[in-house]
Amino acid sequence: MKKSLLMNTLVVLGFALGACASAHGMAFGPTPHPEIDPSLAISGLTLLAGSLAVLRAKRNK
Amino acid sequence: MWFRSFLARLYIFFFVVAFEYMNCYDGRGKVAGHFSLFGMTTDLYGQIPLFALVVFIGFGHSRLKNLKEEIPFGSLFFFAHLICLAVVIAFTIATQTGQSWQLIDPFGYFKCAIYLLATILLALACAPLLSWIAALRATGFLWLYSLLAGVAGWAFGTPVRLLWNATSTEQSGWMQRFTLQAVYAVAHRFTPNIVSDPSTFSIGNSLYWITIAPGCSGVEGLGLVLVFTCLWLWVYRKEIRFPQAFLLVPAALICSWLLNIFRLCVLVSIECNGGSEAFAKGFHAQFGWISFIIIALFFSLATQRLKWFRMLRSTVEVSVDPATEQAASAGESPAIRAFLIPLLVILVVASFSKLTSAYFDWLYPLRFIAAAIALYFFRSELKKLNWRFGWLGPVAGAAVFLMWIAPSWFASLSGHSDAGGSLGADLAALSPSARWAWIAFRVAAAVITVPIAEELAFRGYLARRFMSRDFDQVSFSNLTVLAICLSSIVFGMEHMKNLMDWQHLLLGTAAGLVFAAVLRWRGRIGDAVVAHAVSNLLLATWVLGTGDWAQW
Repeated sequence: MKKSLLMNTLVVLGFALGACASAHGMAFGPTPHPEIDPSLAISGLTLLAGSLAVLRAKRNK
Repeated sequence: MWFRSFLARLYIFFFVVAFEYMNCYDGRGKVAGHFSLFGMTTDLYGQIPLFALVVFIGFGHSRLKNLKEEIPFGSLFFFAHLICLAVVIAFTIATQTGQSWQLIDPFGYFKCAIYLLATILLALACAPLLSWIAALRATGFLWLYSLLAGVAGWAFGTPVRLLWNATSTEQSGWMQRFTLQAVYAVAHRFTPNIVSDPSTFSIGNSLYWITIAPGCSGVEGLGLVLVFTCLWLWVYRKEIRFPQAFLLVPAALICSWLLNIFRLCVLVSIECNGGSEAFAKGFHAQFGWISFIIIALFFSLATQRLKWFRMLRSTVEVSVDPATEQAASAGESPAIRAFLIPLLVILVVASFSKLTSAYFDWLYPLRFIAAAIALYFFRSELKKLNWRFGWLGPVAGAAVFLMWIAPSWFASLSGHSDAGGSLGADLAALSPSARWAWIAFRVAAAVITVPIAEELAFRGYLARRFMSRDFDQVSFSNLTVLAICLSSIVFGMEHMKNLMDWQHLLLGTAAGLVFAAVLRWRGRIGDAVVAHAVSNLLLATWVLGTGDWAQW
């Protein structure tokens, strides 16, 4: 129980920290060479989600 | 009805709150009433509910979807919500236009209080109080984690920003400084004549001078990697060993930061040696996403394949916890490979070909070749589908084509035509044989590989996946309206040229609805593919005939 509570807290805090870092990092306005280009977000996320789904596929029977 | 369940109402509540926050409240520290923390203004009420709701919905999804009781919509609460929102909008407009009556609320506390009240009323309109209580009981302490995440997201925002924003205090900006030092240490070995200026976070030589902006210091990648890794650990927590799996998080973060250093070093080395601007721009637009995707894939593979991080099969099987057993048997249908890999191959090749140039995509033919190879590889699985088609496919394709070009046609009539970028000029600069070869591959991809790959992915997989994990068992004739709408919206998003390209979002969504309707009506993927191919063929004819390169 204590271990589970600690794990949940760590994960949620990490998520919040990552979300606010991303949100505040991307709120600085246009950068000539951004690290993460927002205009490529949709194709990037599609590629990531699709690849993860394929990697999670069960083996052929 | 699906939208009467608590989870559906929670989604509606979230999207309305997010929309109102962005469009009515006018947050982001622009208006009076935002609180000051560590010398920077910030807004309180907008961020906390949004962060908290994301965590509550995301982490409680599996338990919330078990609340199947149909709940009524509170019209009176919604009406009261609209009145409160009107007051908030009035204060926002008064602040923006400098009205004198804004002085009655100089610090914006009244506006904040009314906004909070409006949010509570909207929550009660979406679901009665008893339903909220039932949801809180069903999710245990998740409300506490969500609130904690919401407050943490808001409270961490300002101090965390000090790590990379140099404008606040002298101590801040160490992320930029550290990145600059690392880039200089590496790039100096390849380009000895470069110098760095720590006061302005700049590096370069007489040919090129670059400033490590806050957004370039690696923080965006670190944030995305942290979000992804935490979500992954939570969603697959039944299959992962703790606490050793936590070690993968800092490893992923270090990889992200190092890859950003590599990205900046390549930029500095190329530009300071008089290299190609097109390559430098293309490389830096794409490399951030490519590195994030690679890190995410390696992270997920490590948690699934490395014995030290994954739960042993025997441990999972003997467990009496149903959720654990479900997790053990979870996984996508094996058929997913034939349906998704052709489109993924196109996306991968597109990412790498755009690495080489930010302007003209001269490696476009590789997309056609790679997709054709992928389709050929899965030919035995794809032969099981019904590829026959009738008259409906071409007719639907022609209708989609007319809908697609209508906005630019009307714009050209009113003298507001889009020049279409530099594609026409880039093609004209090629030799005739290279130009026609490129055009031939572009048309072949538009008419053959892209329609097949996209129809397999969006209608063949995604629409049916919204209905069942074993999507290949769902008949095309049984597609639900919700599955068609959701897959069409994703299809529309895929056609956006940037995040604000609403025109292509709407056109793509409408095209997706037409293709899915054809598929559902006839029950054959062949009709949807032919409809898609005909619309693309007509569009290619239009582009080549009129020179309207913006359509490509």
